[in-house]
Amino acid sequence: MPWLSWRLALRRARRIWRRSLQLRTIALTVVLSSVAIGIIGGTMAMSIGGQLYETRRSQILAEAARAVLQGQSVLDEAATTVGEGPDGLNVLQNSLLPSIGSASTAQDIAILRAPDPETTTTLQDTTTSDFPQQLVSEDLREAVRTDTGQLSLQPVRLELQDGSTLEPAEGTVPGLIVGASLQVPTAGQYELYLVYDLGETQRTLDFLLQILFVGSIALIALIGGVVYVVTRTVVGPVREAARTSEKLAAGELEERLPERGEDVLSTLARSFNRMADSLQSQITQLADLSRVQQRFVSDVSHELRTPLTTIRLAGDVLYDQREDYPPATARTAELLKTQIERFELLLADLLEISRFDARAVELETEPTNLANLTEESIETVQPLADGVGSELRLVAPGGHMDVEVDGRRIRRILRNLLGNAIEHGEGRPIVVTVDSNQTAVAIAVRDYGIGMTSEQMGRVFDRFWRADPSRRRSIGGTGLGLAISLEDANLHDGRLDVWSEPGIGSCFRLTLPRDRRVPIRLSPVELPPAEVLDELLPVDQRDERMGGAGDARR
Amino acid sequence: MNQTARILVVDDDPALAEMIGIVLRGEGFEPSFCADGALALDAFRSVDPDLVLLDLMLPGLDGIQVCEAIRSESGTPVIMLTAKGDTADVVRGLESGADDYVVKPFNPKELVARIRTRLRPASSSVTRIEVGDLVLDVAGHEVRRGDAIIGLTPLEFDLLLALAEKPEQVFTREMLLEQVWGYHYKADTRLVNVHVQRLRAKVELDPDNPRIVTTVRGVGYRAGGA
Repeated sequence: MPWLSWRLALRRARRIWRRSLQLRTIALTVVLSSVAIGIIGGTMAMSIGGQLYETRRSQILAEAARAVLQGQSVLDEAATTVGEGPDGLNVLQNSLLPSIGSASTAQDIAILRAPDPETTTTLQDTTTSDFPQQLVSEDLREAVRTDTGQLSLQPVRLELQDGSTLEPAEGTVPGLIVGASLQVPTAGQYELYLVYDLGETQRTLDFLLQILFVGSIALIALIGGVVYVVTRTVVGPVREAARTSEKLAAGELEERLPERGEDVLSTLARSFNRMADSLQSQITQLADLSRVQQRFVSDVSHELRTPLTTIRLAGDVLYDQREDYPPATARTAELLKTQIERFELLLADLLEISRFDARAVELETEPTNLANLTEESIETVQPLADGVGSELRLVAPGGHMDVEVDGRRIRRILRNLLGNAIEHGEGRPIVVTVDSNQTAVAIAVRDYGIGMTSEQMGRVFDRFWRADPSRRRSIGGTGLGLAISLEDANLHDGRLDVWSEPGIGSCFRLTLPRDRRVPIRLSPVELPPAEVLDELLPVDQRDERMGGAGDARR
Repeated sequence: MNQTARILVVDDDPALAEMIGIVLRGEGFEPSFCADGALALDAFRSVDPDLVLLDLMLPGLDGIQVCEAIRSESGTPVIMLTAKGDTADVVRGLESGADDYVVKPFNPKELVARIRTRLRPASSSVTRIEVGDLVLDVAGHEVRRGDAIIGLTPLEFDLLLALAEKPEQVFTREMLLEQVWGYHYKADTRLVNVHVQRLRAKVELDPDNPRIVTTVRGVGYRAGGA
């Protein structure tokens, strides 16, 4: 498609134009100096041409005047020596042209008889062989006849004579015809025409113009070159500064500009480098601080583990023997055990969060069937659901193919979402949906429980945030579960979204890419969730839900 | 297995070591202790334990170096005690030859269950199994290629035996975790991966092109050719 490639080339040229300050500067300079040189050159050419023509013209006029004088004197002399009569005139006629020719450089000469002469004795029209009689205009002849004793001029274009020319390409050269009247004794008034060739002058002018033109082009090219060199010395450092800032922005904090000389550009380089130094030291300081902090959290967690293990073993030993103790001590052993477990979970979650913060986490992916994984996860929380009377339902229209995920992390997310749903589900059914499309697999956990306000929804992934601190917790949890789940989802390049309405319930949706190189276009499960399985709701909830669903879609 | 199995506890934290000792004695084991990695190998030689509980972070030599030293002279089961759930440390521990690992903080039942699994001899209905060009002597816990005995740890022997008993069956990692390591819940499949690699290094003529323990892509492993 040539049209397309042409457009492409145009677009590319436009982009280069926009992007290159140097190109724009050079182009502008060249265009402006071309205009200036064009004006100067044109003026010069015109005045030189006029001057040359003027010089040649006055030279021709002087020469023609001499020739006329010579001719007239020949005629006057002849009147006294040759005598009258046709014979004498003929002799005169033969000698007249060479005589005039010797006095001038005219190319062709003609002596023409004026119309209706009053005398009977006539001199024949005499011309040199190539005299271009047709070029002599009536106006010129008229002028010659009326202005006796004056020279009359007519510019003409002359036919080139074969072989005698330097410019075969052009058929004509400029010329000048000079006319004057001659008084022939006894034969009356005659007209003398002298044809002068201006070709030589034209050639000189052409040559001069050529020199001028070539000189102008060379000058413009030179100006372009000079501007290129000058802009390079200015644009070069600026461009380098731009490149260096790009590198700095990309995190190569060691990058600096060379500082040369004392001029404005080196001042720019110096202040730029100072800025980079200050940035680098601050970033390094922050990174160190953050590293120290993460290291500290991680060390604390690790150091806590050994004594915690001892405490746990001790607590379990005591717990196992609680039946041998008095009731108060037995209860103490029970409390000790449950609180150690809680402490342990908290420590594990803290450690996990500190790993995320330190970016010390790696995915260990393997092909996993997410529908099966979801089913397994549901089985593991089934006892908890039975405890509060919630029915767990799996709807899996899709998600049966293998996807590369870290099964441990996905299981942890699901355990979390299911645990939350059971805890806040008010004993109502919980629907787990697994579906897939071309780019993604999604797992949604929907409960019909107490739900959340939009303000609560906005904070649900915050660390240690709890929807209702006064609410009795049956399952426990550290308050870090959803924060960790979100990190796990992000680690997979996936998403974890929430929808919730107070009194209607909540839906958490995990969307994972089928192929991590292909971004998710659309989650296969809708949020807010399509209202399904009406029969899952207790009878007294159905009407209420109809109103609520409308609200949710508003 | 008698109930007075000797267990060497290598841990530098005296309180934890003592507590583990109390738990082990309560379960009928006979614990002995070593608090320094550099002395662990001497203790191992003098105690000649049935199983070693080995802390990963030790003064002197670290747990991984101790494990390698023990493995160089014995196939005695080693269970790592690790404060780090970090991937790299667990894998390094397993690659150095540890049979299993327990992450601190653990509870006593979990620890005892892991110990018992490793001390329990593999039971099999047959006494002799052939797999590829190998012969497994189940009663004698020996594997031969021709006349040469291949020295496997008890765990590696159990793993090979589990696969060889049912050569027609493909074992998932989860099945092997249950059958060989005694895990009845989702556990770390890296245990299987690392030990299959170690087993192959010993029994395969060309470990890069395995013929005894073959991989069934996306499923697991099986004995013999695919």
